Amino acid sequence: MDGAGSSMVLVADDNEVAQRLCRRVLEKAGYGVLIAADGLQAVDLALAQNPNVILMDVAMPGMDGLEAMRRIKAERPEMRIVIASAHSMASDRERFLAAGADDVLSKPFRLGDLVAVVQRLTAKPSA
Amino acid sequence: MLPGQSPRLGVVPIRTRGLVRRITPFVGIAAVFAVAVATGAPALLAFPLFLLAVLTVSLFDDTRQLLAVGGAASLAILIITVTQLGPASNLATALFEIAVLGIVATSVHEVVRQAKLAEENAERKAVEIESIDERLRLTLEAALIGLGLVSADGHWVQINERLAGMLGHDRDELLHANLSNVVAETDRQHVEDALAQLGRREIMRWESDVQLDGAAETHIPVSLVIAAVSDHHPSEPLLLVQATDISARKRIDGMREALVAVRQVIVTANSWDQAAPALLGSFCTNLGWDLAQHWTVEADRHDLRLQSTWHREGSNLEDFNDPARNLSIELGGGLVGRVWQSGVAAAMDDLAGNDYEQASAERRVGLRSAVAFPVISAGTTIGVIELLGGQVHHVDDELITMLSTAGVEIGQFIQRCDTAQALRRSEADHRAIYERSPIGIARVNGEGELLEANSALLHMLEHDVDAMRSQAWPDLVRAYDQAAGRARLAPLLAGIPDQRSLQVRAATGSGRWLWLQMTATSIPDSSGRPEHLLVMVEDVTTVRETQDKLAEALDSQRGANATLEKLDRTKTEFLSIVSHEFRTALTGIQGFSELIRDGGIEPDEVRAYGGYIFNDADRVNRLIGDMLDLDRMESGRMSIRLADVDINDVLSDVITRASSGSAVLVDFKSDLDPRLPIVTGDRDRLVQVVSNLVNNAVKYSPDGGLITLSTRAEGGYALVSITDSGLGIPPEEIGHVFERFRRVRSGAAQAIPGTGLGLTIVKQIVEMHGGKIWVESAVGHGSAFHFTIPLAAEHATPQHING
Repeated sequence: MDGAGSSMVLVADDNEVAQRLCRRVLEKAGYGVLIAADGLQAVDLALAQNPNVILMDVAMPGMDGLEAMRRIKAERPEMRIVIASAHSMASDRERFLAAGADDVLSKPFRLGDLVAVVQRLTAKPSA
Repeated sequence: MLPGQSPRLGVVPIRTRGLVRRITPFVGIAAVFAVAVATGAPALLAFPLFLLAVLTVSLFDDTRQLLAVGGAASLAILIITVTQLGPASNLATALFEIAVLGIVATSVHEVVRQAKLAEENAERKAVEIESIDERLRLTLEAALIGLGLVSADGHWVQINERLAGMLGHDRDELLHANLSNVVAETDRQHVEDALAQLGRREIMRWESDVQLDGAAETHIPVSLVIAAVSDHHPSEPLLLVQATDISARKRIDGMREALVAVRQVIVTANSWDQAAPALLGSFCTNLGWDLAQHWTVEADRHDLRLQSTWHREGSNLEDFNDPARNLSIELGGGLVGRVWQSGVAAAMDDLAGNDYEQASAERRVGLRSAVAFPVISAGTTIGVIELLGGQVHHVDDELITMLSTAGVEIGQFIQRCDTAQALRRSEADHRAIYERSPIGIARVNGEGELLEANSALLHMLEHDVDAMRSQAWPDLVRAYDQAAGRARLAPLLAGIPDQRSLQVRAATGSGRWLWLQMTATSIPDSSGRPEHLLVMVEDVTTVRETQDKLAEALDSQRGANATLEKLDRTKTEFLSIVSHEFRTALTGIQGFSELIRDGGIEPDEVRAYGGYIFNDADRVNRLIGDMLDLDRMESGRMSIRLADVDINDVLSDVITRASSGSAVLVDFKSDLDPRLPIVTGDRDRLVQVVSNLVNNAVKYSPDGGLITLSTRAEGGYALVSITDSGLGIPPEEIGHVFERFRRVRSGAAQAIPGTGLGLTIVKQIVEMHGGKIWVESAVGHGSAFHFTIPLAAEHATPQHING
């Protein structure tokens, strides 16, 4: 928990319920949480705020999560991005990893899994 | 020996007689001289005795003796005269006496000599004549031809041995006969007429080929010349008869004629069956045989079968020669079988020596000799021809050679006949194909004019020949050439062989339109240049139509496949979307319920979380409801309960409910036609339609947006319009808004939640009522959804609008 205090997580999701859930869980776990409601916003916030981890939904209006991830990785290849999607078929997971995701979290997720994936990625030293 | 003596006189007696004859005159003279001298008788008395002696001697043709006797007598007269009288007185008398003696002796001697000469001449002439006669006789005998002399009435006067031999009679026998007796009966009158003419000196020479009767009832063909012998006594004219045996020449002529006849038959006949009797007949008549049989080798080559026959008229050979006897001969059996085996012509001079069973039958009908030769085609013996005769024939090498030649020519002829027959059969086949073919066939000349059209073509195009030639065919050629141009092929008249077929459209005589497949083939003449075209025309209308239908069916099948693929894709997409929607909803439900379960949260937090959980659960429930509705509607399992419904009432209801929603920030405007008749429908479903459209309008409308609902009657329908001033639908999306999960995802619309099934359900319900739904929209200006529902029957106007 102590280590998490300095870490910032960007949650990019168009679903308000999901935004609230993630903010509640991650803040409780000691992370700073930024919220983006679509892909474009996510790119802007990511590049401006330089979060430690981005929790990225895929199906968002305007720019989708994968495009946002591509743009962010193009600027900040070291940026840790977890794709959190309700597209949870096996092929989807492969697709997301191939697109450059550091990890994939299928919705609906166990709250413990959300914290664990964020912890794991923030524990690793960024390049 | 004295000269002048004939050798023919006897030797000793003649010599003795001569000696006596020569001495006697001298003895007489000496005796008279002695008497005269002794008696002294005057010389005048002795003179007559001396004259007698000289006269006697002068009768013999012996000049020297006459001179000697005359000299001796003269000397004796002189001596007597001198010794008895004074020489001067009687000397003149003595000289006179001597002169008389000389004159008489000389005259008599000359007369005798002349007579002798005349006799000798006559004798020499006789000898000469005798030798000419002999030479003539020898010449006659030595002549290689038959020669003879006949009197004017035809009696043989002379006849040479050759002629006698030729006629097979004794010469003496013939000398009692007449020329016309030896002439064959057929020519007899002819010869008698000739003799009569010659006898009357109307003609001097007559010549003809006739038959003479030979020994043993044979006939000898001769060239007979009868000529008048000119320097004979006119009252008894002789005729020279010259007969040349021309049987050898006749035989050669016969062979040549037989061969010529064979060739003539071969040239003029069309088939062996037609030629066979004439051929066999010409062999017999030209070569002097009575019967001919043609045996052919059976296909299995086991035996020979009697195929065709010929026999001399009026003979008793008819039964023997009947092919119906179905005779067969084995390889090597009898003369015919041996000829078959060896392939070489052979003869049998006398059938008595033939051991084959056939021969006994032949002998029974009086046949005595036979010759057989093979009929050879392409080096193989395909048959045997046998000639049989009642006479014993001498078969020589020339005949064998001639028959062998004929056999080869006949073989070639049979082969040609077979080929020709095969050709005719093939022509007939082609003709039959042409005539009876279900395919239309046209023969076309180099100018494209129709030469001939088969009945199938005329029938196909429903034209008679004239109409076809003048109109239909030129049209067809034009159509073909146009099609050829399009297909970049040569036009029909280019006559390119093995050209690809082309299909053209053509009208028949009765105006039906056909698809015709035309295939042109050029038929070359013997030099290889195209002579004419053969165009095959097939009616492929049915095929084309079937093809078209098939293509159509394939297209629709392809379409169906595409639809199925699309359905499959849609299903996959549907599953993916549905699971996404469910999982999204479940994310909140699961997450917040986990928070609540784990505890340690404030009571107002619990309430808020409960609200999120409820909303998402409700959303999941709606999703499931929509899906089930749609499934029921699409599978036809959902029925609508029709009743009278007031559409205006339905709209008001929905507006009331929508306006009451806490989060609604739009304005509603109603433009309902108060005179709108009631419609027939399921009220609950119609509420579902309107509220769905209204909710959409609300969702996509900005805050403070206006939503207008209007109704009016139009052509038997109630027309309902729900117009918003919202985001609008992009043109590329507008065709898809009624498809499942086709939520407008672009721009701001993406943020608007929904199951993506609403409009699909709406469309289904409207259509189940017999109405239509459509949308007008412009991005940034809003959308207008319109739908129609049929008015209740009693209010429906005549101008009913269908679907």
